[in-house]
Amino acid sequence: MWKTILRRVILMIPQIIVLSLFVFILAKMMPGDPFTGLITPQTSPAQIARLRKEAGLDNPWYVQYVDWIGRALHGDFGMSYQMQRPVTSIIGERAINTLYLSILSVVLTYLIGIPLGVAAGRYEGTWIDTSIQFYNFISMSTPGFVVYMLAIALFGFALGWFPTSGSISVNASGVIGTIGSRIYHIILPSLLIAILGNASIVQYLRSGIVDNKLEDYVKTARSKGVPERVVFNRHILRNSLLPIAAFFGNVITGLLSGSVFAETIFAYPGMGKLFIDSVSGRDYSIMTALILLYGILTLLGNLLSDIIMSIVDPRIRID
Amino acid sequence: MKKAAVAGLVTLASVLAVTLTACGSNSSSSSSTSSTSTSAKKISFPVATKNDKPSVSGGTLTVGMISDTAFKGIFNEELSEDANDSTVMQFGAESLFKTNNTYKIVDGGAANLKLDQKAKTATITINPNVKWSDGQPLTADDIVYAYKIIANPATKSSRYTDSLKDIVGMAEYNAGKSNEISGISTPDGGSGKTVVLHFQTMKPGMTQSGNGYFWEAAAPYHYLKDVPFKSLMASDKIRKKPLFFGPYQLSKLVAGQSAVWTPNKYYYGAKPKLSKITIETVSPATAPSAVKNKKYDIMGVSNSWYKNVKNTKGVTFLGKIPLFYSYLGFKVGKWDNKKGENVENPKAKMNNAKLRQAIAYAMNVDQVNEKFTGGLSFRIPTLIPAQFGDVFDKSAKGFPNNMDKANKLLDEAGYKKGKDGYRTDPDGKKLTIHFAAMSGNTNQEAIIKNYIQQWKKVGLRVELTNGRLMEMNSFYDKVQNDSSDVDMFQAAWSLSSEPSPNDLFSAGAPFNFTRMNTPEQTKLLSQIDSEKSFDHSYRVTAFKKWQEYMNKEAYVVPLNNSWGLTAVNDRVKGYGLNPTQAAGSSAAWADVSVTK
Repeated sequence: MWKTILRRVILMIPQIIVLSLFVFILAKMMPGDPFTGLITPQTSPAQIARLRKEAGLDNPWYVQYVDWIGRALHGDFGMSYQMQRPVTSIIGERAINTLYLSILSVVLTYLIGIPLGVAAGRYEGTWIDTSIQFYNFISMSTPGFVVYMLAIALFGFALGWFPTSGSISVNASGVIGTIGSRIYHIILPSLLIAILGNASIVQYLRSGIVDNKLEDYVKTARSKGVPERVVFNRHILRNSLLPIAAFFGNVITGLLSGSVFAETIFAYPGMGKLFIDSVSGRDYSIMTALILLYGILTLLGNLLSDIIMSIVDPRIRID
Repeated sequence: MKKAAVAGLVTLASVLAVTLTACGSNSSSSSSTSSTSTSAKKISFPVATKNDKPSVSGGTLTVGMISDTAFKGIFNEELSEDANDSTVMQFGAESLFKTNNTYKIVDGGAANLKLDQKAKTATITINPNVKWSDGQPLTADDIVYAYKIIANPATKSSRYTDSLKDIVGMAEYNAGKSNEISGISTPDGGSGKTVVLHFQTMKPGMTQSGNGYFWEAAAPYHYLKDVPFKSLMASDKIRKKPLFFGPYQLSKLVAGQSAVWTPNKYYYGAKPKLSKITIETVSPATAPSAVKNKKYDIMGVSNSWYKNVKNTKGVTFLGKIPLFYSYLGFKVGKWDNKKGENVENPKAKMNNAKLRQAIAYAMNVDQVNEKFTGGLSFRIPTLIPAQFGDVFDKSAKGFPNNMDKANKLLDEAGYKKGKDGYRTDPDGKKLTIHFAAMSGNTNQEAIIKNYIQQWKKVGLRVELTNGRLMEMNSFYDKVQNDSSDVDMFQAAWSLSSEPSPNDLFSAGAPFNFTRMNTPEQTKLLSQIDSEKSFDHSYRVTAFKKWQEYMNKEAYVVPLNNSWGLTAVNDRVKGYGLNPTQAAGSSAAWADVSVTK
């Protein structure tokens, strides 16, 4: 298995190179550049042209690409055109914000999703199942941003229970105060993300349980007199968790990708928002670094998923 | 200002020209209200708070800044061109000079300015009481250093302009030929209080703030001198712990999100009345709720949702008309990079004044404003905003909707109507006009389609460039580079507080996107900035002649301006939007307080 993992990692290198080429060419094909918007009657176009030249934007794309790759290999992704700060430090800040938010929302998603899925599967066809299905139907079909805005208006502004913007209060101080303030700021968004985002978990789990209940080994176990609780937990549930485990690798790497809608509405500076802003502002250095990061994470996530699968299900071997 | 309003890119050369609203600068209002709303329903707002209750001592104030992006946090006026950053630092970043309500520089600020037309100098005398927030005095070195930051290529400041080259030795310093700017001298030495600027030519606009010929801020030399120019923009001394000499100092900061300002105990002026000002970003999505629930004491209001919040109790909506206009421009030539000049093509499709006028008269601008903005936007008659006072041409009519006139003009110019209802050009060839327009708020598409229909009514076939509204980057890519599929375009300018139109319309101005260049235009524009224009009445006449000429030739059709609104909680006292009040002047924040 270790051999396979190593082989997969080595195979990722050409994949990443192709990805980075794509990213770079596509980014350069977009109209405009980081300086396009800098037009006021009081900025001189000559100065803009000079800045553009100094930033290397006048060079042909392959020269720029080689420059970029050369520096990226040394961990230097350059300066953000918009923020005028090193890309790595900007991404670092945003990554922490996003990690806070996504860890809590993933935990909550599973905390809510798994019990609901189990209940729906176990009590298939009863009112419990029907109401869970109905809830999923609603949560799937409601656009997140509507719910976010309603929730902010109600719990944030009207009732004042939760903060309405940002990732931390400017007045927070001390370690406990800082962490407390951060958590306070993510409760509402992560809860909403979890409530709206658990449909796939619930449905996979439910159908897994429903299918497994009819399997021969379940019947065998029952006929041998194994107690119903054990049958369910050991035979049915474990097998039904497989599809969810298959996702898990991607969930872990997805922790960094951020949620554009939630971040925008909660004015929460995370990775999703950073990505969108970098695209609309033609902030090439951030844009390319992020796409590369996401690409690598996706590849890693798939690998991780396969490994997890092989651990959970001994029948699966990845070599 | 990047990407601020619809292409309305606000200029900040004048430190004062920033309000809490996303893209507004200011202007005196009372005079303008009456004269600008030429036709649309009259609507008006108070410009300042009216609160007679006694102030609470040590009160705190919260300010909400609507923005869908995190602010950059470049807290240095020489390096920043971002509207959000200016908004965040407005409590401390005081300008060197005080202005009156029409942006004229007057005595009594952190420094006084004296122009000497004969000697071609400006003498800056620093008020000896002015101190930075670390207690160090403001010195001549600080003023000189600001110019060096701007002009030294290593800092990558985008503030360096052609206008600044009017200072002797500026270009040499910028090119690295000298280590000092020869035209900036400090007669009492670096730690003294006097700076003399030597100019190549004196311009009449120099009496106005925002003129661009000299800089109106200072940088703390003693604090920044150890930071190499190359790393200044990213340094903590700019990003986290900036020094200012205004009434408040930055005491806490969450990068990109919020900041707390506390009184600068070394402030030279009146003692600041608040113990704390907190400013934070608000997502545009939740901004209306924030106003309704009075989450912040002071917050910008977007015209698009003003009607949803206007009945909120305990809040006063202040309003001010910014130095801004949107316009319709006609491409009549190309920018010649070698010559550095606009070259007008007499045979260009749009190079026919009657055609251009007809297009303008066919637009039902007033009707659109009434329907979509309830009068918050209004048609403007000329390219000089009324807030500039006497240089605005009160007699200008602009282009009110008149279909008969439009038809008549086209008939006269030989654009004959064919069987399909569309006109051909005077040579009898099919005429299709390509119109470039930017995407904006939700109404934008309906408005543009309406205009296209209006033009159809007079027989003009107008099609959108690219077939749809364009995203801002694509739009400017085409308009700036004189793309052949743009015959006319709708864009906007935010103006600096010096009214000279030379930067936008002269023969050598790259921002003259229509590429018009006529001898008459050059003559009129140079009159506005000539030596003779130091005589104000001469300048007023020059401005009027230019406005008449522009409306006659209609290369650029003035379209709209809109109110800039701010919601202020009734407990706030002493806040206002005029250039001399808190929204326009950092010094005036010292007067803002809260009551019970």
